[in-house]
This record gives sequence, structure tokens and C-alpha cells, in this order.
Amino acid sequence: MACDRIRPLLPQLADRALGPLRRLTVTRHVAHCASCAAQLEELEAMRTALRTRLTFHRAPPGLAARIGAALPREAPPAASRPWLRMPALGFAGTGLAGALAGVALTLVVAGVKPAVDDPTSAAIDSHIRSLMADHLTDVQTSDQHTVKPFLSARLPVSPAVPELAAQGFPLVGGRLDYVDGHPAAAVVYRHAKHVINLFAWASPGAPDAPFSATQRQGFNVVSWRREGVAYTAVSDVEADQLATFARDVAR
Amino acid sequence: MPPHDDRKRRFELLALPHLDAAFNLARWLAGNATDAEDVVQDAYLRAYRYFDAWQGGNFRVWLLTIVRNSFLTWVKENRGARLVFHPDAPTGDTAETEHTAWGTAPRDPESLLLERIDSQTLARLMQRLPAEYREVLLLREVEDLSYKEIATVTDVPIGTVMSRLARARLALRRLWQREEHAEATHGV
Repeated sequence: MACDRIRPLLPQLADRALGPLRRLTVTRHVAHCASCAAQLEELEAMRTALRTRLTFHRAPPGLAARIGAALPREAPPAASRPWLRMPALGFAGTGLAGALAGVALTLVVAGVKPAVDDPTSAAIDSHIRSLMADHLTDVQTSDQHTVKPFLSARLPVSPAVPELAAQGFPLVGGRLDYVDGHPAAAVVYRHAKHVINLFAWASPGAPDAPFSATQRQGFNVVSWRREGVAYTAVSDVEADQLATFARDVAR
Repeated sequence: MPPHDDRKRRFELLALPHLDAAFNLARWLAGNATDAEDVVQDAYLRAYRYFDAWQGGNFRVWLLTIVRNSFLTWVKENRGARLVFHPDAPTGDTAETEHTAWGTAPRDPESLLLERIDSQTLARLMQRLPAEYREVLLLREVEDLSYKEIATVTDVPIGTVMSRLARARLALRRLWQREEHAEATHGV
């Protein structure tokens, strides 16, 4: 295929946004086209620079508390209104705002969802707690030979703790947790700036189950069961990335 | 537990884990920490007010949309009518030049320059980009959002996200090349 048809697809390849067929077409072309390869390399270099070297500004320590203190003063909304309209906001200052008044973000009021008691919700809650309480790990090390014995010695389960740094998922450590009534191992990985909690708990006698992916509360979740151990990975990384992570763990 | 407290607890469980993401976006848009704090606090109060309107999609995407809207409100109130996000009218960067302006020679020595950029220079160049370019690069590379999610946050069609992203990358690359060129000429 000619370069002029491949070029516009290179950013999408770098953004992991191409479907499998087009990805194959483009990567085949790039493999024997030096100029397209150079352009892709440049896109990847910029991606790497932004992902690894752009300062990430963490929220200052007191901000969460200040927001928490300010919340109760906000009156709860009138629950009976079927529609709520967010104020329309344009791209420009006051001068152009009128022209963009039609751009309103309309939101439907969803009924208050009851708390769901299932392992997925429990795992998400546990993931959130681990990020909030500043208690991500009980043992902090990138050495799988430290994490696994630590967890195995304290839990009725010996989870898989593979080394996945080469695949882009460096090991951060391990934590003792409790998920849906089970004492559970939480093995913590990172992917770029995102935390992945891999929960594992004993599920004796249960048959193996294939990967099952879902998205809830802004988090991606992949669950599976193997050799009497139930696994659930929770993170805010992209669904594709988490699926890759799960496959790498189970490999 | 009274329903109001329960609502607050559910909101905090969902929203506080994304506080760093919200602050980082606000900080890069507003340019300083004090203003970013105001923007984030306003966004969280707003999100809490509209919490029942959240339909159960990606909460981080929903929250970042509100952070961005809070920023726009803040700009309007604090920086007058100054244009922050300029529209996507082509500024000489047509689709044609977008694709041809990248390095084409095999192993163009300039093509790998960005690999050597340091954090400080990168931050300075990012701050010089128009806000809409900075924003799309942050949402894509730092927040790792898909084109569709960026379209939701910035309230434009996916096609616009893709062309804006292309222009943003090109603009960043040009700034960096100019930087390198200046260093070479002045022997800094």
C-alpha cells in the first residue's frame, strides 16, 4: 500500500487505536518503508517523552481534606427533577460564549444505585481504599521472591506473582487484604502512572474460569479462576492494557 | 447512616482516588498551583452537586469533563474575555502539511531528538502550547484516554480530536526543533 494512505494511520498506530486488520496492514508497510518507519519512530519518541518525562503534579496534601470539609455545605440536589442541565460552556471567553450556547451537556439523572455486593464491587472498593489510605503495600519490593513468600506465609492462598517489568508492568509490592469475605492477597503492579491491584483468594474446588472483563465506577476489572484461586485485577489503565496484563499474569 | 452522609461517602469513594488526575489537568491548564486548587475544588463541588446525574460510565472521564468546565468558568471570571482555547481553524497546518512535515529521511538525525528532551524543557515547551493542544496531549498521553473519551471531555467530535492531536504533536515538535536550533546557534 502506498505511503500516502499509510501516513494518516501512523498516529493511530502509535495511539494503539487501530483495529487488528488495519494494524497488520500498517505494521507490514512500516516494516519495509524507511520513511514511514522514521515517522512512526518519531511519534513513539514523543509519546515516550510525554509519558515518562512530563511532570505529573500531584494534588497538594490538604486539598482532599478541604474538599471533604466543603462538601456538606452543598445542598443535595432536588431528586425529583428528571433532567439536569450543566451550564453551557464554550471554548472562548465571554465574547464567543453566546455563539456556543447551544453546546450544553445534558445529563440524565440515574436512580441512586444500591451498593452491589459481589466480588467485583468488593475488589473495586478494596482497590480504592488502597489508593486512599496510603496503604498500598505491606511489603514494598520489586522482587517477586520476597512478595510471594510474604503473602503465602500469611494467607491460605499462594498467588502467582510473575515478574512483568519487561512487559511494562513493574511489580511494586504485596499487601494483605480482605475481599468479599475472603482473606486475599493483593499484588500491586504499576503501569506508567497507574496502579494495578491484582487480588487473589482461595476458591477451593471451584472450576477454572476464563477471563471476564468489565468496567465499573471508572475502573477496569478482569477476573478469572485457575487451580482453585480466584483472581481479580482492578485498575484505571485502559481495558486493553488490563487484558494484556491479565494474560501475562496467567501465562 | 442518613442518606445524605451515605451519598457523600459514595461520592468521596469514587471521586477522591482521581484527585491527582484532576489536579494535574487543572495545574497544566491554569499554569499554577493556587489557581489549579480553586479550579479543582470548584469542580468537585460541582461534581457532587450533579453526582446523581452520573450514569455509571467512566467516572474519571466524567470528572475530568467537569474539571475542564470549571477551568473555563474560572477563566471567564478571572481572565476576562481573553481567548483561551482558540477554534480549530487551520493556521497554515493543513492536513497535507501535517503528514509531510514529519521527518521523512531514513534515520533523520532530528527524528530522535525528542528522546533526549529533559523534563524541564518539556514542561516549558508544553506551557507555550495553546491550551487546547496542551489539553489534548495530556488527556491522551498522561491520562491515557481513548479518542472517544477525549471527545467526551472536550466536547468535540472524534475527528476533531484526531486532527487536534496531530496539530498539537506537530506544534510541540516545532517548538522543540526551534529550541535545538537556538542552542546550536548560540552555543548555549
